[in-house]
Amino acid sequence: MELGLIAIGAGLAVGLAAIATGIAQSRIGSAGIGAISEKEELTGRVILLLAIPETLVILGFAVAAMVILILAP
Amino acid sequence: MLVPMTKVHVIGHRRHLDEVLSFLHQRRALHLIDVGEDSTVPLPPLRIDEAQVNEIEGLRYLKARIDAVLGLVTHAPPPDRDPDSIGPADVEELRTQLDEVTPHLEELVTRRDDLTNEADVLPRYLASLVGLLPLMPETVDFAGYETTVLLIDSRSADVLRDLGASLADVLGTNFEIISDRVGPDTIGAVIVFPENRIAEIRSLLGREQLTQIRLPPRFHGMPFRQAITAMEHRLNELPDAIATTDAEIDRLVDSLGFWSACRVHLVHRLEQLDAVTHLGATLHTFVISGWAPERELASLRSALVHEVGNEVVIERPTPADTDRPPVLMENPAPARPFQFLVGLLGLPKYGTIDPTRLMALFLPFFFGIMLGDIAYGVLLATLSFFAHRRFRDRSDVVRDLAVVLMMSAGWSILWGIVYGEFLGDLGHRVFGLEPLWINREEAIEPLLVFALAVGAAHIVLGLVLGGFQALRSNNRTLFGERTAMLVSLIGLFFVVGVVADSLPAGVLPPAAGAVVVGLAVLIALGGPMGLLLGPLELIGTVGNVLSYLRLAAIGLASVYLARVANELGTAIPLAFGIIVAALFHALNLALGTFSPTIQSLRLHYVEFFDKFHEPGGTAFRPFGADDTARRPNAT
Repeated sequence: MELGLIAIGAGLAVGLAAIATGIAQSRIGSAGIGAISEKEELTGRVILLLAIPETLVILGFAVAAMVILILAP
Repeated sequence: MLVPMTKVHVIGHRRHLDEVLSFLHQRRALHLIDVGEDSTVPLPPLRIDEAQVNEIEGLRYLKARIDAVLGLVTHAPPPDRDPDSIGPADVEELRTQLDEVTPHLEELVTRRDDLTNEADVLPRYLASLVGLLPLMPETVDFAGYETTVLLIDSRSADVLRDLGASLADVLGTNFEIISDRVGPDTIGAVIVFPENRIAEIRSLLGREQLTQIRLPPRFHGMPFRQAITAMEHRLNELPDAIATTDAEIDRLVDSLGFWSACRVHLVHRLEQLDAVTHLGATLHTFVISGWAPERELASLRSALVHEVGNEVVIERPTPADTDRPPVLMENPAPARPFQFLVGLLGLPKYGTIDPTRLMALFLPFFFGIMLGDIAYGVLLATLSFFAHRRFRDRSDVVRDLAVVLMMSAGWSILWGIVYGEFLGDLGHRVFGLEPLWINREEAIEPLLVFALAVGAAHIVLGLVLGGFQALRSNNRTLFGERTAMLVSLIGLFFVVGVVADSLPAGVLPPAAGAVVVGLAVLIALGGPMGLLLGPLELIGTVGNVLSYLRLAAIGLASVYLARVANELGTAIPLAFGIIVAALFHALNLALGTFSPTIQSLRLHYVEFFDKFHEPGGTAFRPFGADDTARRPNAT
């Protein structure tokens, strides 16, 4: 039972973080394409901006990893 | 590193202006500044007189004419001589040649286009007519009659009946309609009627459900079958005719190397004349203001004296404080591909650290930590090697990226040996490959700690560089901030070490003390909002270190995907298993190339550069270096 809850906890940690990242990046992506269609030179920056919200899911992963490693027997 | 630049003033008598501009343009050593932006030259800008305006107009017109003519053909000939050797006499010659040759070339191109059109259109005629052949009676002579072929969609078949009725109204019985199905849903109809009644019939035939096929003029008035034979014959001769015309065009174009050379010369001359408005002037002298690499100055001076004489001098004024020298990055060959990556974010300001070499060192290293697989590394190295070979001359960006990926693949192979990974755990399963350090799948905790350690080291390096740079630019506040941050951070590391039982408890007081002192300095230097900003910045920096956890996370994602691939591969019978496993591994390789690149870049741009890099430099664009002019068919 406890193991199951730990697993669910870890899954939620990274899953919800991934949803957050997805929402953030989808908006950045559509704005980015709009900018690129006006000014090609922005492509590099837009890709960079698109990659920045990855932190959210990485930290989610970090929490999930901590949950599994520290709490699991 | 950034090439040292000196400010340069070129001053001379105005009668030497054209010569000097031409000289500087060919040298490509001087980055021009508009005199209005140079506070050390309090002169009004040079005004172009009417003669120069006319010259500019004339040159622009010539260039437009060359572009118009060369735009008619697919490839422009390469210049047949050095564009810099072209003089005014050659430009006159160009004008004459343009007048003579252009009509001839245009005529050839029109002829070629007509032939190509015919070759496109005739088969369609032929197809429809051949389909209608069974409808035509054998021996009817159709001279004096117009033959119109119509295609009607089968669903609108009643249009044909209406048409017949209308034609009967107008022509009585002096016409003939024959129709039959010619395709899955098309009906073909042939209408023959007197030539002299064309005008009346046109409107009837112009209805929307009727698609008219009008025979080309050369086939008018021919009996039907003869027309078909003639068309087939023509279709056979067309390819040769087109080839001959093409050859003629190519021959003519190849003799126009002189035009291409002139065009380049015109572009250069226009650039020089355009630069005139950026110069300062008095009644008799001109002043050109700009920046040049320090090492070029001596040779520039001697060459100028040699070419123009000593009525023109080069001075080295002391730059004003507000001056921003342009930036030219120069790095050893292994680091050069990373220059454009640094440029993506923004060139460093003059006088700051050029991060290219650091990036060249760390980016492939981080990539290797994340991908960490021998097989993937080898595959990536091979693919990027071939990409480099293919695109070496075609695209600078692809070529640079390929080199970056090759270096990253090298590090991936090294880390693959360390982790003992070959296509995930396949290496271990098949030939008992053992890791040198840890197996990523199981020993997750050491991996996380390692990632954090790398992050801590990288951030500390960034802060040290930032402090050093602040010291160099005499910015006390910034130096204090960065040092204080460093002290707090290191103190924090020791505190964490004590909490994790890796360090003796006696270390805690000095470590905590360091944190507090650093924080206090940060708050003090933060100005009125310091109490709020100081702790926030410290937390921000800690967050930056935590961000390096992605080195572990992305690697693990790759490991687990490879494991899934292997499990699936072994669970399904052999042939399918290999295919499925190969597909998954290919997917993993694609993800494993894209994701670590982006994440390594992001770690550099956001976490590392933030500590010391100051973007905002202007690129060094020397006068005359617009190399697109040296490629034909460019603006």
